[in-house]
Parts: sequence; C-alpha cells; structure tokens
Amino acid sequence: MIREFTKGLWKENPIFVQVLGMCPTLAVTTRALFGFSMGMATLFVVVCSSVVVSSIRRFVPRQVRIPMFTIIIATFVTAADYFLKANFYQISKALGPYVPLIVVNCLILGRAEAFASKNGVGRAFMDALGMGAGFTCALVVLGSVRELLGAGSVFGYRLMRDGFTEWVVMILPAGAFLTLGLLVGLFNIINSKKRGAVRAG
Amino acid sequence: MGKELILVFIAASITNNFVLTYFLGICPLIGVSNKIESAVGLGLATTFVMTMAATVTWLIYNKILVPFDLVFLQYVTFIMVIASLVQFVEMFIRKTSPQLYRALGIFLPLITTNCAILGLTLFMVLRNYGFLESVVFGLGAGVGFTLALVLMAGIREELVFADVPEPLKGTGISLIVAGMLALAFMGFGGIISG
Amino acid sequence: MKRIVSGNNAIKMITALLAVGILSAVSLVFIYQRAIPKIEANVREETKEAIESIFPGAAKIEKIEGKEIFRVEDAGGRLLGYAFPAEGNGYQGIIKLIAGTDPDISVIKGMKVLESQETPGLGAEIDSKDFRAQFAGLSIERPVEYVKNRKPEKPYQIEAITGATISSRAVVTILNNGIREIRKALKDEP
Repeated sequence: MIREFTKGLWKENPIFVQVLGMCPTLAVTTRALFGFSMGMATLFVVVCSSVVVSSIRRFVPRQVRIPMFTIIIATFVTAADYFLKANFYQISKALGPYVPLIVVNCLILGRAEAFASKNGVGRAFMDALGMGAGFTCALVVLGSVRELLGAGSVFGYRLMRDGFTEWVVMILPAGAFLTLGLLVGLFNIINSKKRGAVRAG
Repeated sequence: MGKELILVFIAASITNNFVLTYFLGICPLIGVSNKIESAVGLGLATTFVMTMAATVTWLIYNKILVPFDLVFLQYVTFIMVIASLVQFVEMFIRKTSPQLYRALGIFLPLITTNCAILGLTLFMVLRNYGFLESVVFGLGAGVGFTLALVLMAGIREELVFADVPEPLKGTGISLIVAGMLALAFMGFGGIISG
Repeated sequence: MKRIVSGNNAIKMITALLAVGILSAVSLVFIYQRAIPKIEANVREETKEAIESIFPGAAKIEKIEGKEIFRVEDAGGRLLGYAFPAEGNGYQGIIKLIAGTDPDISVIKGMKVLESQETPGLGAEIDSKDFRAQFAGLSIERPVEYVKNRKPEKPYQIEAITGATISSRAVVTILNNGIREIRKALKDEP
C-alpha cells in the first residue's frame, strides 16, 4: 500500500521519469507559488477522479470507458477551477487557461486508465496521491529554480543580494524548456549514482 | 477585416507559436517527433482537427452555451466535442481513403489528449474571437504546431549522430533543443509590429 | 442471438454515458451557483482597489446606471473624476485595464493593468510603477501618443517600454478607445 504512494514520488515520477503533463509543468512554473498551486489542483483532480473511476469500474462498459473517464475528469477540473476563482482569485488569474487544461493532462487519464480502472479504491487512492505529490514536488522544484534565477526570489522571499541581475530568459518559455531539460539530466545522474552505489554495496 | 485575419494567422502560427510559447502539445513533440515523415503526418491530422474543433466549439459556445447560461459546462462539452470529432475524422478517413488512413491512422487517437486542441478552444473563448477569426486561428495554430513538430524531428534526426552526454539522452536533450527553438522563435516577435 | 447481446450492450453503453453526464451536470450546477457570488465579489473588490490606487482620496465609488463607468468622489462629496475599464488585444492576448480621468476628461489620473499575458520582463512591464507613473497627469486634449527611446516632449506623449513597443502601443490604443467611449457615454451627464 505504501509502495503505491512512494513510487509516484521518485521511481515513477510523472514529470522526470514518465514525462507526462508537460504543458502545465512548463507554462506555470515562472514562480514557485504558481507551480505549487497548479500541483495542488492537479493532485485534487487526480485523487478524486481515480477514486470515482475505481469505485464505478465494474459498471463501465469497455467501449465507452475513455469518454466516461474524460467526463469525470472534466467535472472535477471545472470544480477546481471555480474553487480557485472563488477563493484564490489572484492565483487563478495567473494560472489562466492552464487550470482547465488539466483536463488533458495525460497523467490523470493515464492513472484512471492504467491503474484506477483495474484496482480497488484504497490502492487507487494511494497511487493517485503519490502521483499528485510527485507532480507537485517536481513543479515546485522547477518553479523555485526559475523564480530564483529569473526574479531573485523563491516563493516571493528575496534570496539574491540586491545587485543580482535577473536572468529574464528563465521566466520566458525558452527558460522553461532549458531548466526542465537540465533537471531531467540531473535526475538521471542521481539515479545512476544510486544504482552504482547499490551494485558496489 | 482581411488584414486582421492575416494577423491572427501569423500570430498563431509563428510569433505566438502554440508549442513554443504556450507549451501546448509538448507530449507529441517529445514523444513522437523522431522522423520527419511521421511529424508531417501527425501535424496535418492535428491541423485538420484543430480547424474543425475551432469551428464547432465556437458555434456551440456562442450559440448554445452562452444564450442558455450553461457556461459552466464549457470544459465538459469542449472535451467531448474534440473527442467525438477525432472519432468522426478517423471513421471518415477510414471509409474514404484507406491510404491516408494507413498513413495517419495511428496518430489519430493521440490527438484527443493533445492539449493544444483544448488549449486552442479555450484561448479562442478568452480572446473573444469572431467566427472567421476562430477558424483562421485554428488553422494557424495547426500550421504552427506542424512547423514546430517538423523542425524538432529534423533536429532529432541529426542528433542521432551527436555526442550527447549520457544523462541528457532522450528527454533531456529534446527539451533543451525545444528551448533553443523557443529562443529562435522569439526573434519573430517584431514581425507584426508593422 | 449475438444481435440481442450487442443491442443490450448499446443500451448499457448509452445509459452509462448518460448517467455520468447527468451526474456531472448536476454537480456542476451546484458548484457554479455557490462559486458565482464569490467570484463576482472578487471582481468588484479588484475593481475597487484599482480605482482607489488611481484616486488616492476616493471615498465613494459609484457605478453609473447602465454604463461601465464609475463616478469617484472624495469624503466631502466632491467629484474627483471618472474611472472606466477598457480592454483590447496586446502582444500575447487580451489586456484589461482600468483608467481614471478628471471630471472634465482632460487629464488622465492614472492607469492600472488588471489582466495581461505579456512577456515577463518585457511587455509585462506595462504594469510597472515607472510605466504607470507616466499616465498620471497625462493630457488627453488630443489622443495619447507614444515615443520610442527618447523622453516625451508633448504633454500627451508617453515613452514606450524598450523592447516592448507592441505592448506599450496596445495600452495607448486601448486607452484612447476607452476615452472616446466615455466621452460619448458621458455627453448627457451633468
């Protein structure tokens, strides 16, 4: 059970390993806070839809499962969108159309199809929670790096000294691609080091 | 009016390229574009679906959802329209041109979860485009998507011969190449200052 | 025999889809109705804050019936000017802003960008303090113009942001259109 949760954090991390859900990942991570908010919205949607899909999985005719899953996901996304608009107006404005785009985040449909529709509610819940958490962590890391270099702060706290020249490119689209590319590389280095250590031990 | 439409087209395809500035449709960019040939195929199929999707969702949004105060169903309807459209296109191509179907068939199911299409319809609503503008917007976005996909595939065909550092092989280098492309596309920014 | 099975299947498929669709619509109606008042309040609050930033002494902000224009008065009931929202296309999407004028509509009091998708670090600077400061006291006897890379000489000119001419021009155009609209709309106001 615990393993269903932890695999999403590292071994099957949705962003660094599976490379899923790229659009929101790259678009909203100009600030760590935005990355975190997007991560939480996605976490909410993936957990809710996985639980629902798993609990109705016996009643779903095979041929129409994808449209049904999609409707379920779109419903939760709309709910998340209205929730943000009502309670976190500024954040919702900053995320803009990328909140509704959670609908087509391959991560969510992927979890519904590959895991929740084949497993019990408990396991589906843990799996979705892990994937959502892994997604959020990756977004926060990416957002922090870009915000630190592009605006000199992290989560709005100024970290660089005053003379620091901001690397505007990090907030631009190009910076998103470059940062994520390098982070994926770093992830692979750590992983191969770990594997090497295991072998040596 | 004509000038407006041309501007919308250029903006959607080049200066505000969907893939490289809005990050829409990255999955196929990273996943599929290894060969120029398949990139062209996927690009054309997507362009077709995009233009259709823009047309149909514009009509549904402005003629049904808004007049009947059903805007909260927007996301659900849009995604269903796109999914059925893809299904319909698949059936249509299979019936009329088996040749084309063989060339495009495997890409079609992938298109539904391509965020570029849902993104297109959402941007269209946000920007309050009129009917003609929306159709041109869909076409332009599709052309831009194809352009990015083909460029990427071309670069990746050459990358096979390059000496890429081990940890960056695969996804890492693709993303970095996309970053370079995005930087290059910023250079087009001045085009529509006219 | 097979036919009947597939007929049953079709019914099953349609019922399943319908059931999900109806459940989704019902729950969305519920959520929508609860969220809408809060969202509207958020928009009103944002407009009010923007107007207060343009008119520092504002005490009473009142929407003119049937028009998208606000009358702004100070604590003594004296008319400070009018505020109005305006929007138009920027470089990457729609720019929404709020601007304020004096009671004669001859000078701009200030401008605040509410929404934009301009490039961070370049076009997004249209909401920076320096750029906004150029609008306070700007004459609108004639349409506003922008100049590039030099200090403005005329009272109705502003300096465009370096590297973001398109965004700067968009703001000027939106503003000019907005002023034309409000002049027309306020013709019969006292």
